Amino acid sequence: MGKELSRRQFVAASGSLGLLALLPGERVNALMLATPKRGHPGRFLSAHQLETLRALCARLVPGPPDDPDPGATEARAADAIDLLLGAFRVHPPLIHAGGPFSSRSGGRRDDFKRFVRLDRQAELGWRIRLEGSRGKREREFAGPVRGLQAVYREGLRHLDERAQAVDGQDFAKLLPPLQDAILSDQGDDSVQELVGVAFANTLDAVYGPPEYGGNHKLVGWRYTDWPGDTQPRGFHGAEITGPGNGKPLSAATAASLSRFLPGLAVRPVANDAHWRPRGGLQTG
Amino acid sequence: MSKPSVLIVGSGAGGSAVAWRLARAGHPVEILERGRSLFPGLVEGEERFRTRFGNDEVKAGRYFENQDPLLEPRTSRTQDEANQGVERSFVGDVNDLPATVGGGTVHWDAKVPRFWRQDFKGRSLYGPVQGANVADWPLTYDDLAPHYDAVERRLGVQGDRRRMPAHTLHQAPRRHQFVMPPNPPSHAGTLMAEGAESLGYEPYPFPMAVNSRHHHGRPRCNSCGFCSGFGCPIQARGGALSFLAPAIAAGARVHERCFVHKIGVSRDGRRATSVAYVDRHGRRRRAKADIVVVAASAIETARLLLMSRHHTHPAGIGNHSHQLGRNLMFHYFTLGVALFEPDIHAWIAPSTTFTMDDFVGPDTKAAPAGLPYLKGGICEVGAGVTLLQEADIYAALPNSFGVEHKSLMKDVSLRSHLGAIQLVGEDMPQLANRVDLDPAIRDFHGFPVPRITHGQHQFELAASAYYGPKLAEVCQAAPGSISSAVGVIPLVPGAPASDIEGPNSTAHIMGTARMGHDPRTSVCDGHGQVHGLENLFLADGSVFVSSGGFNPTLTIMALALRTADRIAGRRR
Repeated sequence: MGKELSRRQFVAASGSLGLLALLPGERVNALMLATPKRGHPGRFLSAHQLETLRALCARLVPGPPDDPDPGATEARAADAIDLLLGAFRVHPPLIHAGGPFSSRSGGRRDDFKRFVRLDRQAELGWRIRLEGSRGKREREFAGPVRGLQAVYREGLRHLDERAQAVDGQDFAKLLPPLQDAILSDQGDDSVQELVGVAFANTLDAVYGPPEYGGNHKLVGWRYTDWPGDTQPRGFHGAEITGPGNGKPLSAATAASLSRFLPGLAVRPVANDAHWRPRGGLQTG
Repeated sequence: MSKPSVLIVGSGAGGSAVAWRLARAGHPVEILERGRSLFPGLVEGEERFRTRFGNDEVKAGRYFENQDPLLEPRTSRTQDEANQGVERSFVGDVNDLPATVGGGTVHWDAKVPRFWRQDFKGRSLYGPVQGANVADWPLTYDDLAPHYDAVERRLGVQGDRRRMPAHTLHQAPRRHQFVMPPNPPSHAGTLMAEGAESLGYEPYPFPMAVNSRHHHGRPRCNSCGFCSGFGCPIQARGGALSFLAPAIAAGARVHERCFVHKIGVSRDGRRATSVAYVDRHGRRRRAKADIVVVAASAIETARLLLMSRHHTHPAGIGNHSHQLGRNLMFHYFTLGVALFEPDIHAWIAPSTTFTMDDFVGPDTKAAPAGLPYLKGGICEVGAGVTLLQEADIYAALPNSFGVEHKSLMKDVSLRSHLGAIQLVGEDMPQLANRVDLDPAIRDFHGFPVPRITHGQHQFELAASAYYGPKLAEVCQAAPGSISSAVGVIPLVPGAPASDIEGPNSTAHIMGTARMGHDPRTSVCDGHGQVHGLENLFLADGSVFVSSGGFNPTLTIMALALRTADRIAGRRR
């Protein structure tokens, strides 16, 4: 890498604000987005926590051999979640991608890469959301809030505890069917809390814009045949008014979809479970 | 003689319309907005300001434009809970709208139907409804019509008068054709409209504030599909900024991140003299003006007036009637869903491109015992879902992760094959449906948060149950439809309505400071002037007397222009 700063050196030094100030914002982003190798710590999570999270994400959106198409591992979903948890290690924090265009549909440059600065108020909200209220007066005006960092740290530790009890190994070392059995245990609130938050974040990382660190090589958009962000090109003519090229829906699949009807309702998000997505069909 | 200075609280639909009219009439106008601007160059007055919105579903879910409930929570409870002494059963996101320069219109659906004649005279025409607080508005459709025209011109509303049903034009007559023709119709909307027509209904292109051609320096819409709930990356959609930008060019000034928490009044309580606010640095400040206009949206306006107690207004400013905060109304959404065999990609459109208003009512024959009539609302025909929305819908079921979820995503089942009709159901005003100040929960500034108490009237439940199956019939009749379902309130059997389609999830918020002729039963008059105060006006959904069955923002803006006209005639 020559005189270039490596990602590893960068992560080791990234507690130093002075270092960050010396680097151009896009270079910082590039370093942050570089995926840590196996066995290395992430931007926020330890090496072991990151391996556990990778194993978890791989069950939520599986790739080979469970499914022939790339999954959360190939999309680098766990790394994107780690990036969110450590969002404040760079400036501007990697929370709101910029706009209006990426360079994927006719934009001259990738505006998404230029993350939006948080002002004082927005930063307070996101520090509470990620770091929790930590007993600080200015963060506990409406009571204590558990941050995402704690939810992940404690949840991942709990997964290992459950795995140890089952098979005497950490979660990442378990066979996938045993991992699925733990993740499906509706009687374990701690597991379900982690699965809830990690599933939502994994879906963001697999199916959201790649600037957030996931959807590597657009795998999540390729196997879903999703055009992604289409501005400024948009759609025209028969693309709008005519039928699409997708395969027909079978009556059997249609019947099976009815159970998802409740998912069309918007789910209000309570502050004590602030990581849940609102979901639902947009109304307006 | 210089014109009176005007201070406006809120830069959303109502506040921006007032600012536009008054700044151009020569009034010094200052706008205090609790949010920040997401449009570089806008508040600085640049003619070609930019936007930071993109086709980005992740950002939309990360409180980019919406108020952050961790900083500004709201609380809620049902009427039953309130009767049992429960202080709150929910803390978090309750009807959160964008809290940013431009307000809710930065990501609105931009559907702009007019209210109907009957909406303004519900009490006179159809009588009382037991348990509801039905009243006439202190104005008529004809009073508002010229302001509807003006707002439509400024927004650049698309539509086609020739395709509107006779009953619509009878109830909401219009002198002019729309500013521009309709967008290319979505394929899903066309199919569902055909289904509706086969049953004798009369669907037509939805009037919307979306450019089908270049207008006021903004390009035409290219149907990218990231519309309702997303900021427009090319600014093809009109909204508050259609008024705010020219207001700024005419001299109005917008102050970001200024949260107004109190309106100061004169010793005798007859004049607003100042507003107290917290600025972006957390400093407590005060500003004076000759005239104060509150346009903070129905919930926040009620909260501000309730927080502004004074010995002459012991229950909050303008609350001698004890109506302040009450008659809070939301639209309930009843849903019809069709699954189509072919790929109909309903999401490729500026949300829904068709509407039908055959279910607005009233229907006296179908009303169950105890109700004199039923009313539904306008329908949004042909809605669809985007990628992450689809992923979240599948993920809502327990243990839905894994191969099955991924297979559904690969089959693009809902994205390609689902088309929906949503009925914008009228909500009855009730005294017990209200905003008050939560006794314990504070926001990050330290001020009491708004508490929403809401319960559905039998009227909404009966209307949803009655019109819901009719939506399903339309879905079944659509060419290519192979399955249909309907979601009435409550969408999930056994679940409390408040959890599903109730106060937490709708973006249409009305009432809380209703207008009326009689100060004993209303908060402000027909021009939004708060009773008993000579220089305090309201210009948002708070002044609504009924909710109608129509998306409310066009009416908010038209009322705001009417209020501005009243102010513009004043001297210092």
